[in-house]
Amino acid sequence: MKPLLNIENLSINYMTNKKDFNIVKDVNIKIDERMKYGIVGESGSGKSLTSLAIMNLLPEVLKIQEGSIELNTDSTKDLANISKKEMRKVRGREISMIFQEPMTALDPLYTIEYQLLEVLKIHKTYSKKEMYKIGVDMLKKVGIARPDQVMKDYPHQLSGGMRQRVMIAMALICQPKLLIADEPTTALDVTIQAQILDLMNELSDLHNTAILMITHDLGVILETCERVAVMYAGQIVEESTVEKIFEEPAHPYTKGLLSSIRSLGNKSEELYSIPGNVPTPDQYQELGCRFATRCPYAMDQCFNQEPLMYQVQDDHLSKCWLHVEEGRANERSSERTRS
Amino acid sequence: MYAYIIRRLLMLVPVLFGVSVVIFFTLRIIPGDVAQTILGTDATKESLAQLRKDFGLDRPVIEQYITWMSGVLMGDFGESMTTGREVLPDILNRFKITFELTILSAILSWIIAIPLGVIAGIKRNTKTDFTVRIVSLLGVSIPNFALATVLILILALTFSYSPPVGYVGFFEDPIRNLQIMLLPSIVLGTAMAGAVMRMTRSSILEILRQDFIRTIRAKGAKERLVIFNHALRNAMIPILTIIGMQIGVLLGGTVIIEQIFSLPGLGQLVLTSINQRDFTVIQGAILFIAFVFVLVNLLVDILYSYLDPRITYK
Ligand SMILES: Nc1ncnc2c1ncn2[C@@H]1O[C@H](COP(=O)(O)OP(=O)(O)OP(=O)(O)O)[C@@H](O)[C@H]1O
Ligand SMILES: [Mg+2]
Repeated sequence: MKPLLNIENLSINYMTNKKDFNIVKDVNIKIDERMKYGIVGESGSGKSLTSLAIMNLLPEVLKIQEGSIELNTDSTKDLANISKKEMRKVRGREISMIFQEPMTALDPLYTIEYQLLEVLKIHKTYSKKEMYKIGVDMLKKVGIARPDQVMKDYPHQLSGGMRQRVMIAMALICQPKLLIADEPTTALDVTIQAQILDLMNELSDLHNTAILMITHDLGVILETCERVAVMYAGQIVEESTVEKIFEEPAHPYTKGLLSSIRSLGNKSEELYSIPGNVPTPDQYQELGCRFATRCPYAMDQCFNQEPLMYQVQDDHLSKCWLHVEEGRANERSSERTRS
Repeated sequence: MYAYIIRRLLMLVPVLFGVSVVIFFTLRIIPGDVAQTILGTDATKESLAQLRKDFGLDRPVIEQYITWMSGVLMGDFGESMTTGREVLPDILNRFKITFELTILSAILSWIIAIPLGVIAGIKRNTKTDFTVRIVSLLGVSIPNFALATVLILILALTFSYSPPVGYVGFFEDPIRNLQIMLLPSIVLGTAMAGAVMRMTRSSILEILRQDFIRTIRAKGAKERLVIFNHALRNAMIPILTIIGMQIGVLLGGTVIIEQIFSLPGLGQLVLTSINQRDFTVIQGAILFIAFVFVLVNLLVDILYSYLDPRITYK
């Protein structure tokens, strides 16, 4: 079975006449049908760029430098290499996207009805009446109590939570195979956050939609996802199932992230945070590991040579020199036991 | 909404009152004398005094103002001191020409400016964009009279054209009317187009950066839909502000263009009446221009609320 979405060696560069530097590097992600996949990382780690690359919505100055984004629906397409026309058929119909800011993600001049049904008008050929009915049903599904009223409303008349519900309705109305949610709850109140996450989970099960959840919040990952990729400075540093990442984190960065949220729950301990700041793309090291400058375990070779993705255990990858060292140590110890 | 319109119309009263006071008293302070204009330089002191008395100019200024104002309130703007004709019908006749000139120039400017501004915005920093920006800069900075003169010269030299003399109403002879109005409209339209183009470009750029544009693209919309249904419509709000200001100003008459193309518009009326110190005509015309200006502003505000559901007036 081919995965629904297969991103291989994706690299994104900032490219103008004057400058050219790498931002996202060597991203590999496989999402199966109906899977809930998470990307987690601090601000600036390249999560949004990865998702925009899938949608072919990168800003002009950013270009896919390398790699493929294979989408397997009725046919197989490489979204990194697709005509604009073909891509328009994918957007909103096979893959749709919800953004972080519900307050600004809707056009202020049009009613919810117009904006909700616009997706249907673009991709389907229903009659006006049918479309309206589908729209109202969809609003009901996302938990909007008075759908007929909300259809008539303008975005400014709705609260942030309501708008995000409308965004979800809009994203799912054509029953896409994949829903990309880029920080869908970050801008919302804590109580609303949980409701929106539940709603997304529920609807994705109902419609057999896979989810790519992008967040800086490990709690959101734990609540929604099966697999997770941890991103740092434009690269995936660790990838596995959610259980393995939470229970046996391998990469020093993941460990740091986890101890910072665990210390949150534990009042007696001092609040842990990873020392230093996330580097900006122009500060990325040409050689070596991008995390080395902040890593408590950094060794000489971490500054000179980029580590590979290392299989630390079954179905668990981590990009760190330590594993090689451990491996050697293990090899040595196993040699010793053998002799 | 209606309550709002009525309130805005009521606000006209203090505005127009202010304008009337300022213009009335200013006219009586500046030097110059209508009697002198009419009777010429050889007139005797007695005859000048007699004429001024006939016009009521010898009475206290406050009294003159009250007399004039009570007439105006009844819709009677008085008679011209130089021609003896009624002021209001004269103003309205002149205004028709100014109005037509304004509308034609405005439409011409939109036809050029809005599409070019949109294209420049979409193709930011390309050759097309730079060309459009230079053209619009020229449009804004070339003085009207210079453009008018150059146009007339070019047409005169190539087609032995000469500016038509006299005005023919649109409903009398539409073709002749347009022949007369086209050139001045092009000149005025060019100047307006420059500003509208710049505003269109910058607001399209601004809107295209907004999150909701990304949402629409993510729906799979064609670029045409993104630009026309969403970007341009949102960009229209600031564009409307510029357009409203331009129209408001132009409806007050364009002295230079009316002179060059010998169009008997409002601008000409004001100019000649000032030269002759024809107080009743000046007062009436200025009051009328202020009225139209405020009305245009009201119209623009109403249009805002049609364009943008967030703007509501109560
Ligand atoms: N239009 C752009 N031009 C240049 N650099 C950009 C642009 N957009 C993003 N970047 C850079 O790319 C890097 C990754 O950005 P991205 O938006 O993907 O981060 P993110 O992980 O989504 O962070 P956040 O949590 O803040 O949304 C950042 O360092 C950012 O500075
Ligand atoms: Mg982001």
